[in-house]
Amino acid sequence: MKKILLVLSYPGFSGRAIDEAVRSAKKEKATLAALYLLEAGAAESVFDKFSDIGFMGDRPAEDLSKLVMKESRQRGYEALGKVQIKAMEEGVDFEPLVEEDATVEKVLSVIDKTDPSAVFVLKKKQRAFFKYFTRSLADELAERVSREVVIITEEGDQEKEDSNVKDMDRK
Amino acid sequence: MTLQIDTRPIWLILAIKSLRPIFFLALTSLFLYFLWMPAPEGLSVEGQRAIAVFLLCLVLWISNAIPLAITGILAIVLVPILGVLSNKVTYSLFGNEAVFFILGAFILAGAVMHSGISNRLALYILDRFGGSPRGLLLTVFLLAAALSFIMSEHAVAAMLFPIVIEISKSLGLRPGKSNYGKLLFFSMAWGCIIGGVATFLGGARVPLAVGILKETTGSDIGFLDYSIAVFPLVVILLFAGYMLLTRIFPIDITEVGGAHGVLKKRLKALGKLSFKEYAVGAVLAVTVCAWVGLGEKFGLAAIALASVVALFVFRLVRWKDIEEYANWGIILMYGGAIVLGSALDKSGAAQWLVGMVIGDFASEPWAALALFSFLSILLTAAMSNAAVIAVLLPVTIGMAQTLSIDPVMLTYAIAVPAGLDFMFPMGTPAIAIAASSNYITVRESAKGGFVMFVTAWVVFNLVAAFWWPLIGMGYK
Repeated sequence: MKKILLVLSYPGFSGRAIDEAVRSAKKEKATLAALYLLEAGAAESVFDKFSDIGFMGDRPAEDLSKLVMKESRQRGYEALGKVQIKAMEEGVDFEPLVEEDATVEKVLSVIDKTDPSAVFVLKKKQRAFFKYFTRSLADELAERVSREVVIITEEGDQEKEDSNVKDMDRK
Repeated sequence: MTLQIDTRPIWLILAIKSLRPIFFLALTSLFLYFLWMPAPEGLSVEGQRAIAVFLLCLVLWISNAIPLAITGILAIVLVPILGVLSNKVTYSLFGNEAVFFILGAFILAGAVMHSGISNRLALYILDRFGGSPRGLLLTVFLLAAALSFIMSEHAVAAMLFPIVIEISKSLGLRPGKSNYGKLLFFSMAWGCIIGGVATFLGGARVPLAVGILKETTGSDIGFLDYSIAVFPLVVILLFAGYMLLTRIFPIDITEVGGAHGVLKKRLKALGKLSFKEYAVGAVLAVTVCAWVGLGEKFGLAAIALASVVALFVFRLVRWKDIEEYANWGIILMYGGAIVLGSALDKSGAAQWLVGMVIGDFASEPWAALALFSFLSILLTAAMSNAAVIAVLLPVTIGMAQTLSIDPVMLTYAIAVPAGLDFMFPMGTPAIAIAASSNYITVRESAKGGFVMFVTAWVVFNLVAAFWWPLIGMGYK
């Protein structure tokens, strides 16, 4: 059976981004696999901060890292739950996936394993200035994945949820 | 097994890989250039070498290319090798009273955290006073500040973080979207920052500054004297911070009943107050009283270390417990900072630097205070606050001697603003912890923090101009 992979690389994405992926999966009669990437780096950077600059030793810093990871994981499950509900409503088969480490390599390895026909990936809209210095995971995937990649660009401002999806690029 | 191929251009890969070696090569070359160039007029050879070490440490502390503590060790190594100070003098500086006071304060804070009394106190106060959204917010804000009077502000932020996360979840606040969620985390972080400058115990920067002051001029600042001098600043900043936060993020919930369920559950899980909690709390209370009343007579370090001995005599903690709560490496940084400060002062480099770089901009006492407090608060946004003191204070004290200003005043001008970074996570772990919740973003922190940055600087200078003369500390 055909499969569509939806990559959720940051929390707070909009409902319309999910709608787009579910709609495509329904149209293609494909299973929707949603991959949530946990940002392990965020917790580690807090830990490093405390090691190098802070006053505290390993224990409080590690407790903090674990807590941040736990929270991130919980939010990941909640995000996947949202996608699952939408998929069920539309009668689309759903497969949840969670991976630590929000890197292109991690997504590529999941693509190797799941072999989807298309990859939907979310991208936060960046200011033009920052585009010269950073590359988004979505852009890198579009370059390195040899199958259809649909980039759903969203406004960074999470308050404007209903009008969040700015455009969709198929590559 | 999958083979990962880096598809970036080869020049980019090589550039990234060679960045670190090039950085260190360039830094070493510059360091050697400063060492071997002819000494400028009015500067001794020892002074020139001290400045070279100072600049090297400055770059390393700002860039974090190596851990802060290792830069401290580098200063301790280079100062005697280059003949700026003798081996004996250099290593004796490491045995400074300030270093041992910080050591004692670390151990005491570790004992307080390990006993759980601080956690219990926080839960009790939040449950008792946080009856409404505004009340709960104010309680988080003031509690974070009050706890930072007696413990490191970073430790307080780490301790309150899990409680605030649970409160936010129990109230159904959505990360990144709920105003009240943002308010809770900003209150926690800003409360810690503001409370952290109120006493010697909020961070090691004030003892470190006093250590450098004492080593170079012989002057001292008492435990209580310091708190009296900064008291109005703390009160005004707490008020301004609360008002600003509630203006930027208006409260968007009407009741906080769910939070009390969580707090009560957590309190219940802690059980009854144990003997250890009582005893550690009592030791801390007695220690603070002794610092206030007997600090001048016996010395702050002696009192701190006596309390540490008491903790172990009464078996209130084990070394293993304490070990996990303190970052021992950072003590090396403080030792290195004191050595560096002394090297700049004793070689005459500090006074030369003042004349060359700053003298024309700050010829009046008020201007010197405004300039140095601005530099301090600006630098602390990008680097560790203890590093700011290590870098600025020796030069500042040199300035005080040149302009006949009381060096104690200029020590305040560096030590206090160095703890007031409200903007970026890299300068303040309390902000980093709050940002890791995803309830607030770095952009929001920078926006609100900038207003507090300006407010803190202005209020500090107003306090210096109008409050300090009332307590006998005015401009000469």
